[in-house]
Amino acid sequence: MNRKKWLSSLVMLLTLALMLAACSGGGSNGQSGNSSGGQSGNADQTTGSSSSGEKEDTYHAVMAIPMFQAEPKDFQMVEDEINRIMKEKINATVDIMPIPIGNWMQQMNLMLSSGEKLDLLFTSSSMGYSSQAATGKLAPLNDLLAGPGKVIVENVGEKYINATKIAGESYGVPTIRDLAANYEYVMRKDLVDKHNIDLTSIRTFDDIERVLEIIKTNEPDIVPIAPGGAGNSGMLVGYNAWDSLGDGFGVLMDPDSLVVSNLYESEEYREIVTRMHDWYKKGYILRDAATNQIAANQLVKAGKVFSYLGNGKPGFAEQESRAAGMELVTVEIRGPFAATTNVTGLMWSIAQQSENKEKAMEILSLFYSDKEIIDLINWGIEGVHYVKIGDNMIDFAEGLDASTTGYMPNWDWLTGNAYLTYVFKGGDPEVWEKTKVFNESAKASKALGFTFNADPVKTEYTAVTNVVNQYKVGLESGTLDPEKTLPEFIQKLKAAGIDKIIEEKQRQLDEWAQQNNVK
Amino acid sequence: MFRENRVWQTAAHIIYILLTIACIAPFVLLISSSLTDEAVILKSGYSFFPKEFSLDAYRYLLTGGESIARAYGITVFVTVFGTATGLLMSAMLAYPLSRRDYPARNILLFLVVITLLFNGGLVPTYLVYTQLLNLKNTIWALIVPGLLMNGFNVMLIQTFFRTSIPSAVIESASIDGAGEFRIFWTIVLRLSTPVLATVGLFQTLMYWNDWMNGTVYLTNTKLYGIQNVLNRILSDAQFLASSSFGANSNVLASASPPLETVKMAIAVIGVLPVLIVYPFCQKYFVKGIALGAVKG
Repeated sequence: MNRKKWLSSLVMLLTLALMLAACSGGGSNGQSGNSSGGQSGNADQTTGSSSSGEKEDTYHAVMAIPMFQAEPKDFQMVEDEINRIMKEKINATVDIMPIPIGNWMQQMNLMLSSGEKLDLLFTSSSMGYSSQAATGKLAPLNDLLAGPGKVIVENVGEKYINATKIAGESYGVPTIRDLAANYEYVMRKDLVDKHNIDLTSIRTFDDIERVLEIIKTNEPDIVPIAPGGAGNSGMLVGYNAWDSLGDGFGVLMDPDSLVVSNLYESEEYREIVTRMHDWYKKGYILRDAATNQIAANQLVKAGKVFSYLGNGKPGFAEQESRAAGMELVTVEIRGPFAATTNVTGLMWSIAQQSENKEKAMEILSLFYSDKEIIDLINWGIEGVHYVKIGDNMIDFAEGLDASTTGYMPNWDWLTGNAYLTYVFKGGDPEVWEKTKVFNESAKASKALGFTFNADPVKTEYTAVTNVVNQYKVGLESGTLDPEKTLPEFIQKLKAAGIDKIIEEKQRQLDEWAQQNNVK
Repeated sequence: MFRENRVWQTAAHIIYILLTIACIAPFVLLISSSLTDEAVILKSGYSFFPKEFSLDAYRYLLTGGESIARAYGITVFVTVFGTATGLLMSAMLAYPLSRRDYPARNILLFLVVITLLFNGGLVPTYLVYTQLLNLKNTIWALIVPGLLMNGFNVMLIQTFFRTSIPSAVIESASIDGAGEFRIFWTIVLRLSTPVLATVGLFQTLMYWNDWMNGTVYLTNTKLYGIQNVLNRILSDAQFLASSSFGANSNVLASASPPLETVKMAIAVIGVLPVLIVYPFCQKYFVKGIALGAVKG
């Protein structure tokens, strides 16, 4: 009897534990909403007292920025210098807090929901921008952009600021960089010259196929082509004939229309993956393309691969040449195209818990307009970390190289306004001029600015994501035979509920179009 | 009879040899690839014998591209300090729990069992450690949260105390005039080497392999232990290679580290100490678990 009692109470406890665990997923949103709400109450108070009473007080802001490598040795030195200038200019200082990118999502979640001190943070559509905005963790920016942030709007351009808006309100400003992407074919220059490949003749997949054939027959030790990104990518990363609307579940096959349809059912998609499989069978594509984890430029560096296809931008050839340690040439297969994700991929936002949002916006404005500060955060201190070797070009300071320099965070594309900064030796000195033209000439999707909110179809979304993860890379890297797997893929997508997602997306898009007068 | 035994023996041996190989092979692959030249790995993949021997990865670690030495020092400190205090605290909690004559035993036991079944979830835990205890970005963030004491370990020690140390011994000590602390210190602990070694090993492994606390409570990478550094290098590389940011980042690869082999080399030096500690504890290990658990 006693034992039975024990057993039943144990079972009860376990059930309770399970229930609690199940609840915690859904509950966390509400919870964080509460805590950030309470925090902002506090924040208002402190802002009030500081702005009314002692105006002389220097505001100390905290700025979270993702770091893609080890923290540079001289980071503090550069930060001190930035603060010295910033204090003179706008009477504020900023604690720049680099966070390793692998921890980024978790740290931001914790920091935003715990309400600890944070003013400026990096956001991205691929890292939860829309849900952060929807749960009130990011401060609305429309008013601030009309006030202290005016200079940002002038520099970024109204068209691109509008692309960040969710229900008419902007929660982030894109960094100034390439705000569109083209689709480029990258090749080793020495082999291009050796086999007299005429670059101007390469325009389409057919032309690429001819090049691959030449390499395959003449260079048996080299794999002709690899996907441009490693990991979860096929050959179509950056292919922009359609607007993927962020996730590729329901796309605009014609970016001039507003009709959402299923990409994987389209004739165009079938043709491309059939071609990829053909290439794969002929041995043009890297054998383990679907699982490879090494970046394409590193494969080229190792002498394993001749070429790759991927996302490009002005200065791409120079950038990739530097990474591969040999000269590469690129050919544009598809011209620049701007979809929402290109713009919202890298943004700066103000945290809801910021104690002084106006000052935070002033600080952010400096990163978009003040050359002195932009150069500091990108390249360090002149004479210590870099020297000027031309009007607009810099090199490592004497005696330093990439491994001995105390400051080389490689993030000029992330820190605000790249147009205003120097170009590093080896880059194209006119890269930013060209980028400006690139952005202006980019074909904009009709849905530029539309961001899909997947919450109403959450279950289907997860199921479809799983199905896509199972097939997409295999098909797009040519590993799987589309004859057999494409119908299977489509059928599983339907079973997972992709039609419901497309329907919902269409509804949201129509609503968005109506609100923003897009016809 | 003898024949049958032999068949069994052979079959069992074969199975265990295969299992052992399955355990050891990846490790050999790990060591071998950490000693291979980077370009060879990129070109022809991993192999069990270095096709082209190279110490570049270890040289890179030593010359401090990533300040591996400091991370190593931090991990060693955290492990030694954390295990020592954790062990002492667990034993000191387990002792009263093991004494039937301790009045608050049931309440205390209940509290310990509760921690086995429930935890507060990440965000509340984070709030307590960062805002109440102010542990964020201090070395204590690696030591205190979740690791210093573990209900399971306490129960293990408690059971051992209760079952393997005869109450007569404790009684006679107290008749001889020893106080509770003296009994605990000179008699109970001395008699409990197996379970202390076992729990000590658990804790050592836990501290040594822990990277979760680092990712949650640290943003300052200077405080990172070896596991976090490894994790960071891996995720940075993965991120740049696979995400849409990749196209934007112009990482200066002209002097980039031999990434593939460095990953392997860090994994090797991360595993080594555990390999060294394990054989020393092993003789107590089995005994400790068996005594602590089964007899309960």
